[in-house]
Amino acid sequence: MGEGAPLTTAALAHVVVSGLATGSIYALMALSLVIIYNATRTLNFAQGEMLMISTFVGWTTLQVLKAPLVVALLIAVVAAAVLAWGLERLLIRRAISATHFDVLIITLGLSLILRAAAGLLWTHDEFPFPSFFASQPLAVGAARVAPASLGIIGASLALMLALAALFRWTRLGRAMRAVAQNQRAARLMGISVERVYSASWILAAVVGAVAGVLIAPVIFLSSQMGLVAINGFTAAVLGGFGSMPGAVVGGMVLGVLENLAPLYLPSSIKHSVPFLLLITILIVKPGGLFGRVTARKV
Amino acid sequence: MRAAALAGGAVVVLGWPWAVPRYFVFLASLIAINAIVAIGLNLLTGYTNQLSFGHAGFLAIGAYAAALLTIQAPLVPLPLTLLAAGLVTAAVGLALGVPCLRLEGLYLAMATLAFGFVVVEAILNLDWLTRGNDGLRVPAARLGPWPLATDTSRYYLVVTVAALLIVAARNITSSRTGRALLALRESEIAAQASGVNLAAYKTLAFVVSAFYTGVAGGLFALVVGFLSPDSFDVFLSVDFVAMIIVGGLGSILGSVMGAAVITTLNDSLAGFQSYRPLIFGAILVASMLFMPGGIASALHRAQPRQGDRA
Amino acid sequence: MIVRPSLLLLLAVVLAAPRVAAEPGVTDTEIVVGGSNSFSGPLAYTGEQITKFGIDLYFKVVNDAGGIHGRKVRAVYYDDGYRPQDAVANTKKLVEQDNVFAIIIPQGSPPVVATLEYLEQQKVPMLFPYQSSPVTRGRRYVFQGMTLSDRSSRMMIDYLAGTRKFKKFAALYQDDEYGKSFLAAFEKDLGRYGLKLTATESVKRGVADVSAQIAKLHAARPEVTFLVLVPGPAAHALRERQKIGWTDTLMVSTGPLTDEKYLALATDAANGVEGLSLWPDPMTSDLKGVQLYRAYMLKYFPKNEPNRYSLAGYFAGMLFTEAAMRAGRNLTRDSLVTALESIKGFETGILPPLTIGPDHETQKQGFWVRVEKGRFTPLTDWLKSE
Repeated sequence: MGEGAPLTTAALAHVVVSGLATGSIYALMALSLVIIYNATRTLNFAQGEMLMISTFVGWTTLQVLKAPLVVALLIAVVAAAVLAWGLERLLIRRAISATHFDVLIITLGLSLILRAAAGLLWTHDEFPFPSFFASQPLAVGAARVAPASLGIIGASLALMLALAALFRWTRLGRAMRAVAQNQRAARLMGISVERVYSASWILAAVVGAVAGVLIAPVIFLSSQMGLVAINGFTAAVLGGFGSMPGAVVGGMVLGVLENLAPLYLPSSIKHSVPFLLLITILIVKPGGLFGRVTARKV
Repeated sequence: MRAAALAGGAVVVLGWPWAVPRYFVFLASLIAINAIVAIGLNLLTGYTNQLSFGHAGFLAIGAYAAALLTIQAPLVPLPLTLLAAGLVTAAVGLALGVPCLRLEGLYLAMATLAFGFVVVEAILNLDWLTRGNDGLRVPAARLGPWPLATDTSRYYLVVTVAALLIVAARNITSSRTGRALLALRESEIAAQASGVNLAAYKTLAFVVSAFYTGVAGGLFALVVGFLSPDSFDVFLSVDFVAMIIVGGLGSILGSVMGAAVITTLNDSLAGFQSYRPLIFGAILVASMLFMPGGIASALHRAQPRQGDRA
Repeated sequence: MIVRPSLLLLLAVVLAAPRVAAEPGVTDTEIVVGGSNSFSGPLAYTGEQITKFGIDLYFKVVNDAGGIHGRKVRAVYYDDGYRPQDAVANTKKLVEQDNVFAIIIPQGSPPVVATLEYLEQQKVPMLFPYQSSPVTRGRRYVFQGMTLSDRSSRMMIDYLAGTRKFKKFAALYQDDEYGKSFLAAFEKDLGRYGLKLTATESVKRGVADVSAQIAKLHAARPEVTFLVLVPGPAAHALRERQKIGWTDTLMVSTGPLTDEKYLALATDAANGVEGLSLWPDPMTSDLKGVQLYRAYMLKYFPKNEPNRYSLAGYFAGMLFTEAAMRAGRNLTRDSLVTALESIKGFETGILPPLTIGPDHETQKQGFWVRVEKGRFTPLTDWLKSE
């Protein structure tokens, strides 16, 4: 391995900003997972694949209709909502009352089905995806910052704020929080738990679709794209699974750590960082940084 | 009736290599190896309710341990090599199982998922020993003076080991504690209340499960003859979970049947790669929705009541 | 109750056992060849192009014209996803269950090298593997496909260090046989000019993110950076260096990478890139054979754009057919080997006239290209590798 000049502050700044950008995507993915988990107490293993399919649908409108990117984003969001609504009603709701890991296995099966379907519809090739942001780096002093990084951070923050507003001030948001706290009590108070399930799936899918359209230019669109959801899970656990602010912080921390580690350690460590972090957190402090302690003594 | 079934089964198993083309002998070896893993996984998931998505990691450890021993210390007798593979993997199982005691359902599943990845990364990064991404050739093994150079000889070895492990598993599960655990799988609180030391049994289940998978890994290395870390991925772990779901949680016979179904399915779909995950996923979904007890429970319902059997 | 289904299965299996032909894979009416290739994973695109749109394209043409001495040709493929272990299992299946006559154009140095010993034991020919490791040299039943890494490296270094007088070289390489065989070759060839690689960074096979590696290579300030990668990570490398504003290095791609595919992925980051091309431009070349290839592609797969990967597969199909024709009706694995070795000065209309010598190599040349308006345009004629 060749060692050149030591890492400059400029390079460091670039790396941190890059890390915050991928971290924002992880945060969005983590939020999707947490939204569904809070409402339904189940984990959606197929979250990444749903995001991937929605992005592909958006991409198809770009290719076929030559539509502008904004339209593709809208189509992706609508596709995500429809897919989520359909899957939740047809499959998940049937199994939701079942015990232990039935729903987990079903979503696992779904992830396989969706990935195979994407391969059949669009092949397993990877495709460039246009970005909302310019690709020439901006000069900030001596540092170079990619406009895409700033754009992703900004868009993600805007979406997170919108979510926070939704949960705080809308009736649906309050209903979702009630169900997350105590399902039975919520039902007794007249809240339709089934509608909350549907809403949580749709909301999670919509957040995922936005994340997908933001990240696809960076990691390329492909049937494998959904695997990025694993980092979303790590982010959620890191921040304390179930906590939404935790998901955001967890995502940012993961993104930055992931980018810093290979600068001071062998480059190949980057790939392992999420898993090492996940296993460490689960073993040392399963509650994560902010979480309520969900581990129990046996 | 049951004795006749066992005898018939034994005839088929023993006579298999003489009746079928060579490739099917290799396939049968794979089925037996997968059955061992499935039984091991079932001991963990079906009996102590700890879902693992990381068993490909245990398989990798056993496979590489056996392969490296065969390469570095070829004079060690084969049974010892297999035993060593099992024990090394069991030790790792212990190291993973203890901290995982605090984790429930979902968290445990994700911890095992992460474990699977970490194992593969470790094997990859120890490339001075394991030849990393280029893969490791496993030299042909010898059982005493006999070289195991043909698919048939390796088949008999695998089947013998599988039979021994199946008998052992039956003993474990038909012991009183095994059956108590099975009956109380749904409720840990009830299990605790009835005096079962849950922590000890959960850890033991991890260790035994890892041991089984490690031995299977050693056999796998011998039968396939070549290892590379990227083949021990999360999809392989999902394969094993599918085997016990399809076969039936908490059933040894179910584990074997599940292994046979999934392995044969994977092989016959080899020419239809694009459809394989589709069919697989559909099977998982359908199993959970329509046949949550797996093949074993369907068989159980089909047979007239014959008293308690695992 | 349990015995009966097993007996039925046994019966079905015995009945379904394939008839053993005189020579495996050759019957009165057809020849069956096959290979383990990538249909998923990092080389999914190239694998599909090489097989379905490459070899199969040529075989369609041959079959439509009556086949090889009255036999139709058919190919069977299994997916190994660029994983050596899976390649070994797939190859076993092809040889023992599908009884293929020969293994044709398997892809990827690590998977191909993993299967060498088994195929040698079984005496099954391996034809034109799409890989660059020199480990495949010197085996009776193996005939190389693309120009091997030591020859590629010689041409690249002679051109860059010898003709263009560059001095500082770095390499971003895949951490397995593919990358390492090039790395070793680069070191050896640079040594002849009294030079060394200034910096190297490796990427694990299957991983796309190379931002850390690019940052570290940037710090070493090389004049030339070799990319010994597959299309995905290579495109990421180009985009990453654009992101950090690293403009003062020449990005050079090795033979198997040099195709518009990874340029297309990199979109506007693909300027100024150069490389060694092993094939004439499939879209624009007016060589007779390439024009014919384009015509056939248009006829059978009109929606598929011509590229170097399908051209490589097509070429392999062409070579196989030529050899099988020369071997005559009495086609055996040995007669195929003899026929291949008899090929001298064979005009393909795609590459320079082909002579297969005792080294069993079918390609020994390449030429330099540079990106202009999104396509690789030639800067030199065919370069010499010996």
